[in-house]
This record gives sequence, structure tokens and C-alpha cells, in this order.
Amino acid sequence: MFEYALLIVAAPLVAFLLIIIFGRWTWQGGAAIAIAALATSFIVSVILFAQVLGLGALGEPVSEEVFQYNWVGPVEFGLLIDNISSLMMVLVSFLCLVIGIYSLGYMAEDKSKTRYYAEFVLFTAGMLGTVSANNFLQFLIFWETMGLCSYLLIGFWYEKSEAASAAKKAFMVTRVGDMLLLIGIMAIFASLGTFNILEIQARGIPAGALVHVVPLLLFAGAVGKSAQFPLHIWLPDAMEGPTTVSALIHAATMVKAGVFLVARSFPLVAASDIASITVICIGGFTAIFAASMALVAFDIKRVLAYSTISQIGYMILGLGAAALLFEAGHASHGFTASMYHLMNHAFFKALLFLAAGSVIHAVGSNDMRVMGGLHSKMKITSITMLFGALALSGIPPFSGFWSKDAILHEVFVAGETYGAIFTFIWVAGVITAFLTAFYAFRLWFMTFAGKTRGDIHPHESPRVMTYPLIALAIFALISGMLALVIGGFGHLITYGGTVHEGTMELLTEIFTSPLTYITLFAAVAGIGLAYVVYYKQRVSSEVFVSTSAGRGMQKLLQNRYYLDAAYRGFALHVGTGIARAADWFDRNVIDGVVNGSAKVGLLLARGSDAVDRKGVDGAVDGIAYVITGSSNRARARQTGQIQVYLAAMVMGMFAVALIMLIYLSGGW
Amino acid sequence: MIPLEYELALAGILFGIGVFGIIYRKNAIIVLMSVEIILNAAIMNLVAFSSYAINPITGDPGGQVFAVLAIAIAAGEVCIGLGIYIVYFRSRKDINLEEATRLR
Repeated sequence: MFEYALLIVAAPLVAFLLIIIFGRWTWQGGAAIAIAALATSFIVSVILFAQVLGLGALGEPVSEEVFQYNWVGPVEFGLLIDNISSLMMVLVSFLCLVIGIYSLGYMAEDKSKTRYYAEFVLFTAGMLGTVSANNFLQFLIFWETMGLCSYLLIGFWYEKSEAASAAKKAFMVTRVGDMLLLIGIMAIFASLGTFNILEIQARGIPAGALVHVVPLLLFAGAVGKSAQFPLHIWLPDAMEGPTTVSALIHAATMVKAGVFLVARSFPLVAASDIASITVICIGGFTAIFAASMALVAFDIKRVLAYSTISQIGYMILGLGAAALLFEAGHASHGFTASMYHLMNHAFFKALLFLAAGSVIHAVGSNDMRVMGGLHSKMKITSITMLFGALALSGIPPFSGFWSKDAILHEVFVAGETYGAIFTFIWVAGVITAFLTAFYAFRLWFMTFAGKTRGDIHPHESPRVMTYPLIALAIFALISGMLALVIGGFGHLITYGGTVHEGTMELLTEIFTSPLTYITLFAAVAGIGLAYVVYYKQRVSSEVFVSTSAGRGMQKLLQNRYYLDAAYRGFALHVGTGIARAADWFDRNVIDGVVNGSAKVGLLLARGSDAVDRKGVDGAVDGIAYVITGSSNRARARQTGQIQVYLAAMVMGMFAVALIMLIYLSGGW
Repeated sequence: MIPLEYELALAGILFGIGVFGIIYRKNAIIVLMSVEIILNAAIMNLVAFSSYAINPITGDPGGQVFAVLAIAIAAGEVCIGLGIYIVYFRSRKDINLEEATRLR
């Protein structure tokens, strides 16, 4: 029924090959092929989504595997079409298409466009393949394809040493998670004998330690990919790539894959309270932790990077809370809320990044300290980015409000059931909302308001860049409310008990709850503080660092909690130490063994050489010597004179005659 | 009547002379003559046994007939042998058997 869904994944893959082979001779170095493929993916996935949605609304949630292809043994490749995969496919293909169109302007002057578009579509194919995989092996293959593409794209300007090392960092840090994910998948296969996701979801991990270990290992993969604490350090550095790539990584692909992985393995996570609580704690901590680092960053993209880490933390938090409540048998909206936030975040984060890209394109710098007053010069960019900032801050009716509020509500409910720790995490979430609003508007005011600080001559970006911004700004405004129109996002995406709420009940529930006003107040307070400090400048930002505690805090944040330094130190001391030890071991033990075995081999060789020379050669030479000698003697008899032969013949004849005589006469 | 032993002894002596001539003489013509002596020794045997076998008085005429045939063949053999010598002499200008070592 959904066989055509294969086209969604296949189109970018085919485009990748086409661009690699023919790209350099086509328009804009293969951009036409890329855009065509992404558009195909988008159109087909919209059709798919509509169909899945239609069936879901009829009360038949779709969960179907199509295009089964038996690869080897128990591995059946195919696509798993259900509500979350079809939602993700629409989201990914739409954002990739928009970012691809934007790239036409942004990358217009780059000289290696072919490479860019090839890697771009492969990245898209990786994400589409990941979200549609019907088994964990296929999932991992596409997951790693994305890892490769992120490496290639972050290091796209590899002539810059920062870009090259950022790419390396991203690849190696995510590798830690990927390795654990691989172990987790192997553990699943070892205990269930299958990679098939539906089967694994249905059967669950049999009781034992694996019930807790497997979801934790899978979550470790998500932590690496989604840049959660403590593997978040690669994402801020990943800013070294082109801004479009950052948008791609942050909004559509890569970091969303981690959240998707947790959503896919939701029943496994829910089966283990340890895993659920770990997920909640990591998510909640990452949310506030990353938001705090965004406060002091001056690189416009770095602020957005921390914001992504923080927002992903929210999604992970929501999934964890949902898993815990689901396990306890409570109806939970957490899963719905997380997926909802994932969708909303994808729109407004893509918007923020593309707008930042537009600013960088105009200014030629990432540093917000040289910007300012850009509003008059770049109206479209400024207004669209304001939409993004409002959505990020969670101001109604922008999209971020609905989903962030739902997640925090969910955590609060978990707190009511499970006690103080969740209340604490809820408080952290609210503080994060405040911080988020503050840094989002700090960014906006520093960039667009006031007077230009640096010596820059900005101009509005071309239409090919502003139109995608406008499209995304519209989505940042309405994507939250779209769900209200159809009476709650829970109709689309839910796990476990279906949540059927009408629009009015939903609105009533949201706006009568005091929790909503608490988070809303936090967000407004954040914006207000940013307004006072960075727009009106009534309070100088120096106030924060006037005390020694403030200075210490600033130093701590600017040094990113010294985690990068700690990892670096770990790599330098422990890693180098291990390397030294391995080196010593290699030189002395391994080389000793090798040299020893070489010596033994040499001795054996000498022995066999002696045997060969004396024994075998001796035998051969001896035989030859005997034959030569005897033939020399025989040759002397070979005179060529018939008479000599005849004499011999006669002698022989006499001999025969003599023997016969003796024989016939009966012996001697 | 001459006893058979005498005849056989004569044939043996002829054979020995022939073999000696073949082996030790270096002149090819002498060697050919020695071959004829050996043949004669063989014919001598045929005649001796034919006269001795079956009926000592009349003897067996078959042996005598064979003797005549062998003499005719010996003549032919000499023709061939001399022909070979002539060809050999034409190429080597010599028929000394010591120099004929081409078989080596």
C-alpha cells in the first residue's frame, strides 16, 4: 500500500550518485539535481503523510512494513511506515528542500558546490533512511551514513584548520555513542534473534539485566548523536561548517535522529525505570546546562548551537517522563509532546539558523559584537528571525510555546507521582525557559537593534534566501496552532493510549493551568531582562560580572564548564598515557615476541639450509656424481667401432651359451 | 663315415676363425670374408645334421636344400656388403674400420 514510500529514500540516494558523476556539468554544480530529488522526496512524503494521517484519523493507526527485502539470514530490509516515521519524513524532506533552495544563494560563490550538494543529499538520504528503517541494522547503516556526512559537511571548508578539527571532533565524539549503540543493537539481537523494530517493540527484552542495559546503550547512541550531556561538546564546534549545514544538522537531521531513536525504542526505555530516570535526568540537566552556556557566547551560531542542545534536552526529558509514566500505567502526553516539540523546533531552529546565515552572509562575521542595528538594513531577515526567537522563547501563539509547555506539564505530572526529584527537574525546566528567552532576545537585540558597532556594510540577502526564511517564519508561527485546528497533536502522534481531546478542551486545559502561566512568566521575564540590558541598556551587562561570584560564573560558562578542557586533558594525559603504555608494550613485548619468533625462524631456516645443502643437495650431487663418473667410464667404451661392439656381443653370447650349457646339463 | 662330432668341431673352428677375423681385422674386405666363413660354419652345421638326422644312410634332404639356399643368400649378402663398402669408400677414401667411428 505504501510501496511508493521507497521513492522518498531512493530519490536523494540516486541524486547523490548523479551529482557525484554528472554534477559538475549541470547548473550550479548539481544543485538542480539536488533540489529536484529533495522536492520529489517532499511531495511523496506529503502524500504518504496524508494517507497515514487519514487512516490514523479513521482509528486505524498505520504500522506497516513495506518493500521487504531479505538481505542475509534474519535481516529483512524494508521501510517501516507509521505515524512518527511519516511525520519525520515530511519534516526532514521539507526542511532539506527549504535549506537546499536557500543554499542556492548562500553557496553561490563557493567553488566546490558539487561536493556540497552531493554530501547534502546524502545527508538527507541518511536521515530519511534512519527514520524509515524497519530494523535496527538498517537504522544503524543510515545512522552512520549521517555520521559520515556530518563529518564531511562540518569539515567542508577543510582548508581552515578549525573546520577540520571540528569535523574530527564531531565524528569522534559521536563515535562514542555510536559504539555503545552498536553494542546495544547486538545485545538486542543476541537476546531476541531479530533486528526488526516492530518485533522488538512487541516482544520487549526478556527479564534480566539486559532490560536495563539495552535501553541505556541505545540512549547512549542518542546522547552522542543528539549532543546531550556529556557528549554535547561536538555541536558548538560544528559551527565551523557552512551555516546551511548547521541548519541541516540542527533542524532536520542528525540531532533529531537521537530523539527519534529514543522514540523508536520507547517501549524498551519504558520497560526499565532506571533507563527512564536516566533519560529524564540527562535531558533535564542538558536543557539548563546548555542554556547557561548560551548566555555568554558571542558567536551568533554558537548561541543557536547551545540552544539546540538545550531544546533537544527538553525533548529527551519529555520522552523520559512519558516512559516513566507509561511504565506506571498512567496515560501520558509526554511522547506526543516531545514529537510535537521536535516538529516545532525543527521549523524555528531552521529559521533561526538560516536567518543567522543571512546575517553572516551580509556582515561577513559570526561575532555579534560587530553587529547591531541591522534591522533597518535587513528587514526581512530581522523580522523572520524575531519570529524564530519568539517561537524559541515560547511566547504564544508561536509554536515553541505549545510544545514546550506540554513537556514541562508532563514533567510536573511525573513529579506529582514520583516526588521531589521531578519537581526539581521541572524547576530547572522553567529556569531554562527563562534563560532561553533571555539569550534568544540577547541575540536578537545585539544583532538587529541599536547602532552598528563594527565597520560593516550589510545588505539584504537575495530572494532565493529570503523566501525560504519567510516560509519557515510562517511555519514557526502556525506549526503549533495547526495541531489545535485538528484537535490536538495527540491525534497524529501518540504512543499507548490514544489521546482524543477537542480543540476547546485542549485550550481550556492549557490556559487554566497555573503551570502555563509560570513558564510564560519566566519567558517574558527573560525577554524583559534582555530588553533592559541589551536594548535600552539601562542596566549595563557589566552588572552581572561586578561581583566576584558573577565573574567566576562568567569564566566558568565561557570555558564551557571546563568540560572541553577536561576531555582534552583526559585525552592528553590518560589517552597519551595509555598510548605510551601501549607503545612500550608494543616495543618491548610485541616486538620481543616478533623478534623472538623471527630468531627462531632464522635458526630453523639455518637448520633447514644445512639439511638442504648437505642432505638434499648432497644426495642430488652424489647421484649426479655417480652418473657422471659411470657415464665417463661408459663413454670410454663407446668407441663407435663396430668391432668393439661385436666383441662385446660375442662375449655376451659366450656367456649366455655357458649359462645355458650349465643349466641344461643340470648344474655344476 | 665321419662321426658327427668331427663335423661339428670343424664348424666350430670355422665359426671361431670367422669371429676372430670380424673382431680383430681392420680391413673391411677381410671382415666381409670372415662373415662368409661364419656363414660357411653355419652351412656346415646344416649339412652335418641333415646327414646325421633320421636315417644315417640317406639323411634328410631338407638340410641339404637349406644349405644351397644359404649359399645363395651369402652371395647376395656379399653383393650388398661390397656395395656398402663402395659407397663408404667414395665418401671417406678409406675402408679402415679403425677410422669408422661415426656410430659413437
